[in-house]
Amino acid sequence: MQDLLKRFGTVIAYLVLFTVLAASADNFLDPYNLLSILKHVSFLTIIALGFTLALAAGELDLSIAHVASLSSVCAAALLFNDYPIVFAMLAGIGCGTALGLFNGLVVTRMRIPSLIATLAVSTIANGLAYLITGGVAYVGRLDTAFLVFGRGNVLGVPAMILWMGLTVALTLFLLKRTRTGVHLVCTGEAEEPARLAGIRTRRMKLLGLGLSGLLAGVTGVLLTSSLSSSSPAIAGEYLMTGIAAVLLGMTTIEPGKPNVVGTLIGALTIGTLRNGLTLLGAQYYVQDIVLGVIIIVSVSASARELRKVAFSVPH
Amino acid sequence: MLLEIEDLGKTYGAVSALSGVSLAMDEGEVVGVCGDNGAGKSTLMRIVAGAQPPSRGAVRLRGKPVRFTGPRDALTAGIAAIYQDLALAVDQSVYQNVFMGSELVRRSWVPGLRTLDKRAMRERSREYLARLGIELESVDAPVNRLSGGQRQAVAISRALRWEAALVIMDEPTAALGVREKARVLDLVRKLKETGVSVLLVSHNMDDVVAVTDRVVILRGGRLQGEVATADIDADRLSHMVMSGRMQ
Repeated sequence: MQDLLKRFGTVIAYLVLFTVLAASADNFLDPYNLLSILKHVSFLTIIALGFTLALAAGELDLSIAHVASLSSVCAAALLFNDYPIVFAMLAGIGCGTALGLFNGLVVTRMRIPSLIATLAVSTIANGLAYLITGGVAYVGRLDTAFLVFGRGNVLGVPAMILWMGLTVALTLFLLKRTRTGVHLVCTGEAEEPARLAGIRTRRMKLLGLGLSGLLAGVTGVLLTSSLSSSSPAIAGEYLMTGIAAVLLGMTTIEPGKPNVVGTLIGALTIGTLRNGLTLLGAQYYVQDIVLGVIIIVSVSASARELRKVAFSVPH
Repeated sequence: MLLEIEDLGKTYGAVSALSGVSLAMDEGEVVGVCGDNGAGKSTLMRIVAGAQPPSRGAVRLRGKPVRFTGPRDALTAGIAAIYQDLALAVDQSVYQNVFMGSELVRRSWVPGLRTLDKRAMRERSREYLARLGIELESVDAPVNRLSGGQRQAVAISRALRWEAALVIMDEPTAALGVREKARVLDLVRKLKETGVSVLLVSHNMDDVVAVTDRVVILRGGRLQGEVATADIDADRLSHMVMSGRMQ
């Protein structure tokens, strides 16, 4: 019973939160509102899954938000200059992946802790985004064939929810069913034993941070498509919410470990809470306070793992 | 000759941990490595297992020079090591630890994509553990729930899984009870019978005398000498290690 509570306590807390909001916030259960929550949660889940993969390999990626913004800006800049849609999307995602791999190289080759390395790369990405845009936002004028990726529907289901489902399925498959995924997790959980067992741990860290960059790139491009605009700060909020989703996820399903389903539950909780607080008329700063409390409570539940990764230097 | 080590040395800054050590091992030979703390036993073992690069010297495997860039190279070449701290991922299950780094995969419905064969890994893990006389309730249990002896068995099973030509054991009986210790020593004998060589690093002179063919003694990072096990007993060996005199 205690074990079940430990594994599913956060899920139960989410259900309680959902019930309370359903009873107290007008229109919370409106299908349009619920879809809106899921759509917002989709971006958060995709970017947070990238953070999850980096953390699974034992590294922090604090650059996700600025890398996503830069990817968004890259794609938008190309689209506004009439480059083909596929090229612009691949360039945006490629930009995120390249920065993710750069994070990985800085961490594994220069042996700089990821806490510092990704913060530096985040600053670089932010600077590059302002360099490309000149500080202004790209708004409107985007081809509908591009907008359908973020705004479209398939059989009534918003495309964003499908992208989220696909990302969850793929990351879950990677971590649970493939040798590479297992090596990634072993690297994060026990780096030296993993290395001694023949796992190429530095390569796994590079992969984890590379995939984190890739998913930040995907998030950036989908944000551009969904909002039909882009700016250097378009994904800014996803650093703290992304981290909070992953940390909250580490309190459930596989307690103490970054895990895919946990991240999804964490993102759902944060998305639902933000929506509920808005419906209840709470100011945006109240949401920030709640987010901060969530992070502290989550970290206290999985502090050992986080201390291990936050200041570690790769072997 | 299976393994030849020539003039091996390792320095950490100004400190020399190993200096001018040469050693040769035949197929199926069990060699003990003894020495006091700081003698260089673990350094020697880690270099041969690819866990550390040497500062100088050469290692040859079946006559061919090898230069390991990491443990994986050594494992692939046929050298598996069991470390004193066991090097296990304690939050992971028994079967995951046994197959860590060499997981079994099978074909999936997606062409070219292979997925983990968890059932086969569970079965094979039980087999490896059974060879050591260890029966666990579940190979899905995390290693952190096991006793010291059971953990040792998991670490040894991992080395068996690689079907190595040379198994290096660093203090394999240190954390074991009498019965478990006897099983590990039996395993060393069985490995020898099947042609596998064993490099046994140990402080326990009784164990060394019980299973090895000869013993090399290290002192202060240097090779002090070697002796055929048939010519000595545990007390004599202990005296050699303590005094550094081979006579």
